[in-house]
Amino acid sequence: MTLSTSQASADPPAAETRAFSLADARLPIAVTGAVVLAIVLVYTVGGRDPGLVTQSIVTGLLLGGVYALVSVGLTLIFGVLGIVNFAQGSMLTLAMFLVYVMGHSFGIPVYVATVVAIPIMFGFGWLVQLLLLNKLTISGNENGPLLITLGLSLLIVNVLLMVFGGRPLSVPGTVDGSFTVLGALVSYERLIAFGGALLVALLLTLALRKTSLGLAIRAVSSNSQGAALVGVNVGRIYALTFAIGSACVAVAGGLVAPFISLTPSVGEQFTILAFVIVVLGGLGSVVGATVGGLVIGLVQTVGALYLPGTGSLILVFAVFVLVLFFRPQGMFGAKQ
Amino acid sequence: MKPRPPSIKKVSGVVAVVLASATLAACSSSGSSDSKSGSGGSGKAILIGSVHPLTGALAGAGGLMNDGAKMAVADINKAGGIKALGGAKLKLDAGDSQGSAETGQSEGQRLIQDGAVALVGTYQSDVTQNVAAVSERSHVPMVIDVAVDDQILQQGYKYTFRIQPNATEMGTSGADSLAAMGQANGSPVKSVAYIHIEGSFGQSVFDAFKKEAQKKGINVLKEITYPATNFTDATTQVKEAASVKPDVIVDTGYFPDSLLVAKSVQALKPNIKALYGIANGAFDDNSFPATAGTAGTDVLSANYHYAATSSKVVDIRKRFQQQFHKSMETASVLSYQAVDVIAQALEDGKSSDPTKLRDAIAKVSVSNPLLAFDGPITFDPTGQNKNATVIVMQVQGGNVEQVFPTKFKTAKLVFPVPNK
Repeated sequence: MTLSTSQASADPPAAETRAFSLADARLPIAVTGAVVLAIVLVYTVGGRDPGLVTQSIVTGLLLGGVYALVSVGLTLIFGVLGIVNFAQGSMLTLAMFLVYVMGHSFGIPVYVATVVAIPIMFGFGWLVQLLLLNKLTISGNENGPLLITLGLSLLIVNVLLMVFGGRPLSVPGTVDGSFTVLGALVSYERLIAFGGALLVALLLTLALRKTSLGLAIRAVSSNSQGAALVGVNVGRIYALTFAIGSACVAVAGGLVAPFISLTPSVGEQFTILAFVIVVLGGLGSVVGATVGGLVIGLVQTVGALYLPGTGSLILVFAVFVLVLFFRPQGMFGAKQ
Repeated sequence: MKPRPPSIKKVSGVVAVVLASATLAACSSSGSSDSKSGSGGSGKAILIGSVHPLTGALAGAGGLMNDGAKMAVADINKAGGIKALGGAKLKLDAGDSQGSAETGQSEGQRLIQDGAVALVGTYQSDVTQNVAAVSERSHVPMVIDVAVDDQILQQGYKYTFRIQPNATEMGTSGADSLAAMGQANGSPVKSVAYIHIEGSFGQSVFDAFKKEAQKKGINVLKEITYPATNFTDATTQVKEAASVKPDVIVDTGYFPDSLLVAKSVQALKPNIKALYGIANGAFDDNSFPATAGTAGTDVLSANYHYAATSSKVVDIRKRFQQQFHKSMETASVLSYQAVDVIAQALEDGKSSDPTKLRDAIAKVSVSNPLLAFDGPITFDPTGQNKNATVIVMQVQGGNVEQVFPTKFKTAKLVFPVPNK
C-alpha cells in the first residue's frame, strides 16, 4: 500500500489534535472518578457482603474485557466507514465456529486456532467491504450498507445453523482452572480474554496514532473527500478498516469460545451491547470502546447485586440513555 | 460527498434496524413442509401439524423435536398406518415458530387451514399458549410435547392436552425427591439456595418448590435470578448462593446458562452436598457430561425423562441416532410420544374429524409410555396427563443415569456428593 505520508502529515486531521486536548480529558477522568466513587459507595453503604462485591467487580471487569474486545472492531467500522455493522455479532459467531472446526477436525488448540482465524476473518472482512459494501459506502448511501450487513448476519446465522445444527457445541479450553485474588475467583480463560482485549486495544491505538496507515484511516474518517484529494485510496482504506474490524472479532471469538456454549445465534446478544459501548465510548475511539466495555461490564454485574435478572440490563440501557442525553458524542468522541 | 451525520442519527438508525431485523426475522423463512408424504394407497393422508422453533436461538432443540415427530409418523406409516381408518397414512406438516409467540400462532393457523386434524408442539410456554388459543378457537386438538407453564391448561381449554408434568408438579416433586434422597442416604437436606432463570418458567418451578420444601422441612435460604439474555458468567450468582452456606444448590434454567452455573460451582467449590437441577435444560442432556467435563460429575437433575429401561425406547433412540446422527433427547422422545398419542386416538375414535379426535384423546390410555412415567398416559379434565412423573438423574462415569426412585434406576445414587 502506498500512501503519501508527507502530504497527509503536513496537515494532520483535526481529530488528532482534539484527542490530546485537555478539555476532552476531563470527561474520561470524571467517568473513572464516578466509577470508583460508585464502587466505594457499594462497599461502604451498599449493604452487601464485601466478598460478594469484590467478586462482582472482578467478574464485571473480566466480562467488560470481552465486551471491549467485541466493541473495538465495531467502533472502527462504525466510526470510519459510518456503517452500522449489524453483522458484527454473527461475524463473532462465525469466528467462534472457525475456531471450533479447527479444534474439532484438526486438533488445533484453541489459542493457536485463534491466531489462524485472524487472517481468515481479515480476508473475509476485506472481501465483504470490497464486494458488497464499497460501492454504497463511497457513494454516501446511508441505509444500503446497513441493510446489507443485516442480510449478511441472517445469512451467516442460517448457514451455520444448516451446517452445524442448533445444538450447543463447546470448544475445549487448554488452560482450564482458576485462582483467587482478594477472595474473588478469576478464571484463567477469562483473564486471557481480558488481556487479549487490552492488547488489541493497545495495538490498534498505536497503529492508528503512529503509522502512516493509521493516519490515512483517521484522515478518511474525518474527511474522506479531503483524504482522496491528498492521494489516499479511500476504497482501499474502507476495505482495510472493515478487515481490521473483522480481525478484532476473530480475536474475540477465539478468546471467548472456551467459556461459552456455541450456537449459531450466540454472537447476536453481543451486538446490541456493543453498539451501546461504541456510543458510550465515542464513535471510532478504540480507547473509548475499551473503557466503555469495562464500564458496561461493571454496571451489569455490580448492578445485578441490587437489581437481579433483567434489572442489570435495564441499568446498562439507563447509562446509555444518560450518555446520549448529556454527551451524544460519547466519552472519547470528538465534537461534531 | 456528504458530511458525516451526527451520532444521534446513526443511533436512531440502529434502533430502526433492531425493529427491522425483528420484523424481517419474523417473515424470513416459513416452515418447510416435510418431504416424506407417505401417502400410501388411499391418497388422502391424515395431516398432523407440528410447531417448533426450527430457526433462531432454540433451533437445536426444535430441530430434534421435529425429527422426533417425523420419525413417529414414519414408524406408524411403516407399521400399516391407522388400521381403524383402512390403513390411512399420516403426514407431518412442520411449522417453524422461530421461538416467537406471534410466529407460532400464525404457523398454527396456517397448519389448521392446510387441514391438520391435530397439532403437536411447541417447546416454549408462551408460544404454546398462543397456539393453544388457536386450536381451541378452530376446534382442532393440540397435544403439547414440551411446555411447562401451569397457566396453559388453566384457561378452561377443551382441546389442549399435555403429556409432560407442569411447572408446579416439577417444583413439588423436585422438593419431594430431594427430601426423600436425603433421608434414604442418611444425610437429610435442611437448606437450599435456589438459582433460576427469570421469567414464568423459572419462577413457577421455584414457587412450587418453595411451597413444598417448607412442608418437608427444607429451608430456602436464598433465591437468585439471572436474565435470560446476555448472561455469560455465573460466578457472582453461584458465590451469592454459596454465601448463605446451603446444604444443596438448586438450579432451574436452559442449557447454556445451566452449564455456566455448573462450571462456576466447580470453580468455587462451595461446601455443599450436591448441585441439583429441577426442570433443568442441561443437567440430564446427553451432551452435558462431555461438555461440562469434571464440572458435570455427580450433578443431579429432577426432570421428566425418557424411559431408559424400556427396550422400545432403546430401539427408537438407536434408530434416531442412525437416521439423524444426533442423540435423541427427552424433548424429542416427547414429540414422538405426542404423535403416538394422536395416532392411538385416531385408532380408538375411528375418525379423523378433529372434534371426534379431541374426544378420543380425552379418553385415551396409552400404556407403556416412552417416558419414565408411573402409569399409562391418560388425561384429566383439564387436559393434563395424570401419570406424568418426575424422576432424578445423575451424571456418573460420563453418562446420564437414572438414580431415583429405585423403580427407574439404572445406577446407584451418590448422595451426598463427595467434594471435588
